[in-house]
Amino acid sequence: MRLASVFALAAGLGCILPWGSGGQAQTAAPAAAAQKLPYIYTHWRQFTTKDGLPNDHIFAVKADGPRVWIGTEGGLAMLDKRTGKIRSWTEKDGLPWRVITGIDVDKKTGDVWLALFGAGLARFSGGRFDHWHQMNSGLVNDVVYAVAVENDNVWAATTAGASRYNTVTKEWTVFTEKNAPMEEIWNYGVHYGDGKVHLAVWGSGILEYDVATGRWKDYLDPDGEMEIDLYRDDGIIHVITTGAGYVDKVLWVSSYFGASRYDGRHWRGFYNQDSGLPSDFINNIAVRSGNEAWFCTDKGLGAAVDVATNTWVAYTRDPKRNTGYAVVTRDKQVIETVETGLNIPHNYTISADINGNDVWIGTAKGLAWGIGKDYYPGLRERGVMTASARSASGGAR
Amino acid sequence: MKRICLALIAPLLFAQRPGDPPELRALIDPDTAEVLRRIDAVGPYEVPDLRLKQDTNYAKTPIDIEPYSGAKPYKEHFLVQMEYTGPRRAEPEPGPDLKSVKIGFIGPIMATVSVATGGASHEEALGIKMLQGAQLAIEQANARGGYLRRKIPFELVVSNDNGLWGASGNEIINMAYKDRVWGILGTIDGANSHIAIRVALKAEIVMVNSGDTDPTFIETNIPWVMRVISDDRQQSYLLMDYIIRKMNYRRIGIIRASNRYGRFGVREVRDSARRLQRPIILEMAYRVGAEDFSLQLERLKAANLDCIIHWGDAKESALILNQMRKMGMNQPYFASDRTVSDEFLAIAGKNAEGVICAYPWNPDRKDPKLDEFRKAFRARFNQEPETYAAHGYDGMNLLIWAIQVAGLNRAKIRDVLAYRSQPWPGVTGDIPFSATLDDLGEVFICRRENGAWKYYSREDLGIPRGYIPARDRVSRATGAIEPMK
Repeated sequence: MRLASVFALAAGLGCILPWGSGGQAQTAAPAAAAQKLPYIYTHWRQFTTKDGLPNDHIFAVKADGPRVWIGTEGGLAMLDKRTGKIRSWTEKDGLPWRVITGIDVDKKTGDVWLALFGAGLARFSGGRFDHWHQMNSGLVNDVVYAVAVENDNVWAATTAGASRYNTVTKEWTVFTEKNAPMEEIWNYGVHYGDGKVHLAVWGSGILEYDVATGRWKDYLDPDGEMEIDLYRDDGIIHVITTGAGYVDKVLWVSSYFGASRYDGRHWRGFYNQDSGLPSDFINNIAVRSGNEAWFCTDKGLGAAVDVATNTWVAYTRDPKRNTGYAVVTRDKQVIETVETGLNIPHNYTISADINGNDVWIGTAKGLAWGIGKDYYPGLRERGVMTASARSASGGAR
Repeated sequence: MKRICLALIAPLLFAQRPGDPPELRALIDPDTAEVLRRIDAVGPYEVPDLRLKQDTNYAKTPIDIEPYSGAKPYKEHFLVQMEYTGPRRAEPEPGPDLKSVKIGFIGPIMATVSVATGGASHEEALGIKMLQGAQLAIEQANARGGYLRRKIPFELVVSNDNGLWGASGNEIINMAYKDRVWGILGTIDGANSHIAIRVALKAEIVMVNSGDTDPTFIETNIPWVMRVISDDRQQSYLLMDYIIRKMNYRRIGIIRASNRYGRFGVREVRDSARRLQRPIILEMAYRVGAEDFSLQLERLKAANLDCIIHWGDAKESALILNQMRKMGMNQPYFASDRTVSDEFLAIAGKNAEGVICAYPWNPDRKDPKLDEFRKAFRARFNQEPETYAAHGYDGMNLLIWAIQVAGLNRAKIRDVLAYRSQPWPGVTGDIPFSATLDDLGEVFICRRENGAWKYYSREDLGIPRGYIPARDRVSRATGAIEPMK
């Protein structure tokens, strides 16, 4: 039964099954032999309304030390990692609007910035909510999908342009097609890192703002066509982008059509058909390094863990049983399938954050905490894990 | 085999849920019954096993106007239907104190200043007609008993989408989270439509579009969106087949509105012309609301064109035509479907004779449904229904059908629409859905003849069509394209 589930899962991921039709295991390498393999998260915790979340639909998650901020469809929550206790805020507590689609934390002040879906921008500071919207500020639109703190500035990705608020001077700057290379103005994601702000713009690819020079640069799909990707590695794979992350001077991009990576010299596209991405429909992205990025798809969580070898780990929940799997693939070939116990609470994943060795995943039905005990980046020599790793102490080492 | 057997017996076993009234059972065809059986059977973590629509060719595109037709693309999108894999099918229906079943309407119905639409708002005439079509559908459904499972009325929640910059997004959020509508019909303007559907995707509510012909509207991979009007891509394909393959015009010029409707409307015109070896000689844009087009027309006149194509609204279309004729420009005048209107005729007068437009349906079609709709519309509004009213009526009826059949669950409402196996029998004709849930129904040529609009199919006019391959581009052998002689 368990083996059958693993087969079904691998097939569901669109993987090339390493087993013959007779059910005889034919792994790519002998099970006992050590080979270079990625870390697998085998210790997970889940949180739902039963644990105190105001809603199970998790649009945003942001870890800030021991505090994990959670934006849901029904309010804001904060989980204390140390105690596992959850505190929540809804409109009756002063939260301006209950649907929260993005969160970032100002490292300097500790202020929590909230993207409100249809109600603008809010700051949670000292137990008080401050509220900015179209009618009382320079925010260009109230439908805010994402927020990012850049030095003294707060960037909001809205459905009708991007706004930047300087928390010191109180100045607002609006970026639309008038002053930025936005072919369309439908901003969807924003990320700050390594001196650059990246906007993921629906229909306008990725826009990069250099904080030092104030200059813009755009990344568009070179073929310019919606219905095809002419060449996989010639640029972003599609102009309808959903998120971006820039770490180690490497740009990762998510879209509803697949993923892209740019190291400053070479582009690489990733699709379900050629990688471990569980699906091409990617809601969001969290980037750990130039070599590792996590993609929230509608059919599970995909982590690119070693670019050079196209090695991925896909995490999915068994829809019928209270367990989950991690499938390691290399160039689409399954090299390891591990039953992890319940990992993500739902395969429709929406948001993610990386905090040290841990990962936080928001899904359409709860939050997951992947505990990265003894996490290691990239690949290491180790034996292939047995089907069930839940009982193995310490997870993947 | 198992699936076939289930499909055969499903109507007998699962055609209705317990307590469904007979008039509701009559709305459930065998395939929909099977969809209902499968979506009712899954819990929050499962995805129902439903047959995804698959197309072998995107948007019935002839091989010689496919982009980069000489190359094999790495990936071709939009050939397989998107799934909804979230948990909402398992959400319970609302309690018994529900007083009405709300359905949202969003469209340009109030005059205002709109940055999104290129200056002053200008689409109210279209939006109001679309609203009237939707209202009529709601009223008729209520006269038939309203929401049949609970015997409560449908209620239309109406909102305007051309207010503040990006207002359509706020309106969808209000409807989804505050009004708690079960589905939404709407939008005409392409920019507002894109804003609205992104919100619908996050809020997970179905949007049926009956008025936006922007081809990119559906090219977004959103599983919550469908369209019941043929888009500018389909209309452009027919128009360009007429202009180039049939009439053999060689020097083609474009004049268009500088808003999204004009910009994206002519994209397939421009691409088709280039790919058919007749690149557009000159394309001129004008500001929406302009009344003097001499700047553009002088340049177009100097280009010695065989014909001119206009993409924009009716008023500008008529003014351009009049100024063309006054300048001695007697070239054939082609236009998008918005030209087919009373407003155009009132301004263009006799110059309207001979104008040719692409059109998304055939209003002259003999169909008792259409006759009844016209009669009811006249009785209700004392006006003639036009294309936006008719498509609005079709879209709202489709949405009402889905809510009746699926029940009060947004995901299931989406499912019965998305997995509908048969074309929707609308007053605008049968509406077959592609894998992207776009309307791939027949489009027409509309010609002003002897003081009346006449509608012609491709076959009526003997318009040649390019070869449409039966295989997707990635798995098909690449062949050289013969240039047009």
